[in-house]
Amino acid sequence: MTAPASQDPRLQAVHVARFHAGLAAGLVIALGLSWAWLRGTASAGYEGRARKEAVGALTGLAGEVEQAGGEGDGVRAALQAWQAGQPAGTVGRVVVLSGARLEASTDPKDAGDRAAPRRLAHDEKPVFDRAQRMRGIVIENRDQEEKKPELEVVLEDGRFSMAAPVRKGGEVIGAVEVVRPAAPPPAAPGVPAALLALALPVVVFLPLRRAGRIVAGLAALALFAAGVAGFGAYAQRLVGGAADAIQALSAAGVLGLGVLLFVALGGAARFRSALVRNRVAYAYTLPAMVGMLVLVFFPFFYGILISFTGQTIYNTSAPLTEIWNGLHNYASILGDFSIVHRAEDGSLALSYGNFYWTLIFTVVWTVTNVAIGVSVGLVLALVLNTKGLALRPIYRVLLILPWAMPNYITALIWRGMFHRQFGVVNYARMLFGAEPISWFDQPFTSFLTALATNGWLSFPFMMVVSLGALQSIPADLYEAARVDGASRWQQFTSITLPSLKPALVPAVILSVVWTFNMFNIIYLVTAGEPGGATEILITQAYKYAFQQYRYGYAAAYSTVIFIILLVYGVFQNRVTRATEGI
Amino acid sequence: MRKHQVLALVLAVLSPLEALAADIVVWHAYRGGEKAAFEKVVAAYNAKPGNPNKVTTLAVPYDAFADKITAAVPRGKGPDVFIYAQDRLGGWIEAGNTVEPIDFYLDDAIRGRYVPATFEAMTYRGSVWGLPLNYKCIALITNKKLVKDPPKTTAELEALAKKLTARDAGKFGLAYSYGDYYYHAALQNGFGGRVFDQGKPVMDNPENVKAAQYLQAWIKAGFMPAEPSSALITSLFNEGKAAMVFSGNWFLGEIASGIDYAVSPLPVISEAGGKPMRPWITVEGVYVAAPSKAKDAAFDFVKYVTDVEAAKVMALEGRQSPANAKVYADPKVAADPILSAYKKQVDVAVPMPNLPEMTMVWSPATTALGAIIRGGDPKVALAKAQEKVAADVANLRKGK
Repeated sequence: MTAPASQDPRLQAVHVARFHAGLAAGLVIALGLSWAWLRGTASAGYEGRARKEAVGALTGLAGEVEQAGGEGDGVRAALQAWQAGQPAGTVGRVVVLSGARLEASTDPKDAGDRAAPRRLAHDEKPVFDRAQRMRGIVIENRDQEEKKPELEVVLEDGRFSMAAPVRKGGEVIGAVEVVRPAAPPPAAPGVPAALLALALPVVVFLPLRRAGRIVAGLAALALFAAGVAGFGAYAQRLVGGAADAIQALSAAGVLGLGVLLFVALGGAARFRSALVRNRVAYAYTLPAMVGMLVLVFFPFFYGILISFTGQTIYNTSAPLTEIWNGLHNYASILGDFSIVHRAEDGSLALSYGNFYWTLIFTVVWTVTNVAIGVSVGLVLALVLNTKGLALRPIYRVLLILPWAMPNYITALIWRGMFHRQFGVVNYARMLFGAEPISWFDQPFTSFLTALATNGWLSFPFMMVVSLGALQSIPADLYEAARVDGASRWQQFTSITLPSLKPALVPAVILSVVWTFNMFNIIYLVTAGEPGGATEILITQAYKYAFQQYRYGYAAAYSTVIFIILLVYGVFQNRVTRATEGI
Repeated sequence: MRKHQVLALVLAVLSPLEALAADIVVWHAYRGGEKAAFEKVVAAYNAKPGNPNKVTTLAVPYDAFADKITAAVPRGKGPDVFIYAQDRLGGWIEAGNTVEPIDFYLDDAIRGRYVPATFEAMTYRGSVWGLPLNYKCIALITNKKLVKDPPKTTAELEALAKKLTARDAGKFGLAYSYGDYYYHAALQNGFGGRVFDQGKPVMDNPENVKAAQYLQAWIKAGFMPAEPSSALITSLFNEGKAAMVFSGNWFLGEIASGIDYAVSPLPVISEAGGKPMRPWITVEGVYVAAPSKAKDAAFDFVKYVTDVEAAKVMALEGRQSPANAKVYADPKVAADPILSAYKKQVDVAVPMPNLPEMTMVWSPATTALGAIIRGGDPKVALAKAQEKVAADVANLRKGK
């Protein structure tokens, strides 16, 4: 879009047309969202009022039935009296749990041989279950000292279907069920107003199509603002102008403005042309993109979403907005600094469940493991690289074996080897006259068992990587060094190590990430013993999710782990770039 | 008008049958002999004269079973009937739309035909959610070569165990997973202890402390191996190096063919005034899935599969211990020493809590047991466990 091009009248027309299209698209988005919000608010407000009235009728009936003793003719009389004051189409039933009895009913169908009192029929199981549910809520409120509402209200097919428990002598003996028609919600307001606010600016813009770019652009923005603000003012007056109205409407406006700018400034056109130009490439990557979207990105973002809620096993079916608790999970994970506490005898003790303890332990665990893996692997690689070593292929295969075995089998074998009475490690110690150790009773010894296991599992990888790199170092470098009189050590530090660096650094980086999240070894070898002291972050997150059923908290925990590794990833990227020069 | 009434009458007469005729899908996690026995029961149900329903079974691998139920059933993609132990029941009920309450169908005859504790395991917050199919609990398993008369009291047990122990030879009088809370519960319940009271955790009640002190006395006496994992116990028993074992019927399949063993009820606790050891029972229940379209038919099958006829097949061919108490009157079942021994045990056992909070108990309880086994003060260890469980439960409930 160079300057001379803009003087081209044809191009000029294209730009102005874009402004026009952007104006229309932006208005559609902003007004559509505003209208949807308006409709939702209006019907929610209406439903709230209707619900309140219906619940009033329900609790009134429940009170009268309880007063009449919960069963018998008194209850039937009370129900009849109550029915007189209810709108047409209201139905009341009284159910007694013992013997699954319909004690009283004003349902026209419950007449003749179906007249109450009688046993509930086969197809009336839901009524009985509902009464049973009411009893469950009352029992739970009593046992757990909770204050769940002791009633059930469902809006279905324009009717409120409700139930409340009936008590007698402190125990729930039954329930009242009321089905009460709700007046149909008023028609959604503001359709003509929204259409007007949409059409007017678009029409007004028509004469401006001949104007210059800048004039057209400013006019489009002004008309957009006028349209959105006009509808906003109308909507606000309709619902009474609360703070959340302003919030919702301005969010819709901002989104619409974004769409306007995207279309008007050519973003949409560029996007489309890029799509058309590279359509073969996009077609090829589409399956992978869909796969990634469904299998990776959706669970990932859903997990992050869950982390802002208080989701637990009790409320998995509740909508996320209802259990939203913002940053509470993060605050309680990151804001708890009580790493040490006073034990019963007054001494200081570590709180193993604390996030920072687990983080420190995880870091120590990662650093020590990688250090062991690299040093053992490198030494073995150097040994294997010795010229003229006999039976080298056999050694190599043997040394790679730990890596080739499934790691959970290795983990279980090592756990067995650290058994106090029958483990081979203690047996070996006893051969030298030492006392057997209960390895999993102390944090440090427990840590050693996991470290030994993971060290055993991780050195072959480092060995293979180093061995490959060692064999690619040209022999004449060493020859030249020897001619110059360098010692073996000098050769190692000045030739071998720098030549290994490009191969070792990425391997170390990878192995840090693996070890940081090495779930199997911790879970199977130490299982966090003693008392969660040797838990790493990932096993801790597992415990929160699948032993304590605190899904929201566990999701937040996992997100924190992700952020830690993300920061590490950014950091390692820089380091790798630094090594690329070699 | 008249025509309508006749039609309505005809429909009313036909409707119970109409509602019953249905295809029912059952999910179970059985393999081998249990699977064959279960399929035999299903075939017998399908062939039953006058039964309009058709039941098909699907064996789902055990590891994935609970998660599959949790994921599939509430979305209406699951079976009509499924079989699982009671430990997940509370969680499923709390999550909603998974298990159908069945109080409506029950009469006293059905309620009365099970071992009471197994029926209790199917009850959650005052409602019944399934019918018990079978139970598992630990009992005393003895090596007949080493133990002629299984001990009836803990005093006898201790004396016998001490006599049979030769630590240097790696021989032990008694071996059981006392570090596992599930096994320890037998002692704890025997002393009158419990984990929950009215749905609230009470890990550190005085009875639990007493049971823990008693366990410490046993450990000190030295007739049990250290760090008793299940693999270790199996190998000790199979080598004739453990004379007595506390374990369930799952252990019987692992006993080597050369070992002659007997099963008898756990001894009564002399120190608790002769009260019996009361192990926890795990009960497999048969549940109707809440979103099922054929609940009446599904319950008809649930009723059948937990009735005497089916229980007999499951006991004798599937080697299960049926929850149906009536089946133990059958001569063939009564003659089976293992089945009747476990029946004697289950009569004094208590169901393992089916509250979802139970999963929060295991880890702190194991930690506390670990400290107790190492000789720590039981009061302090259990108080710590109580604090942790109470905090975890409160955290879970807060989100509710």
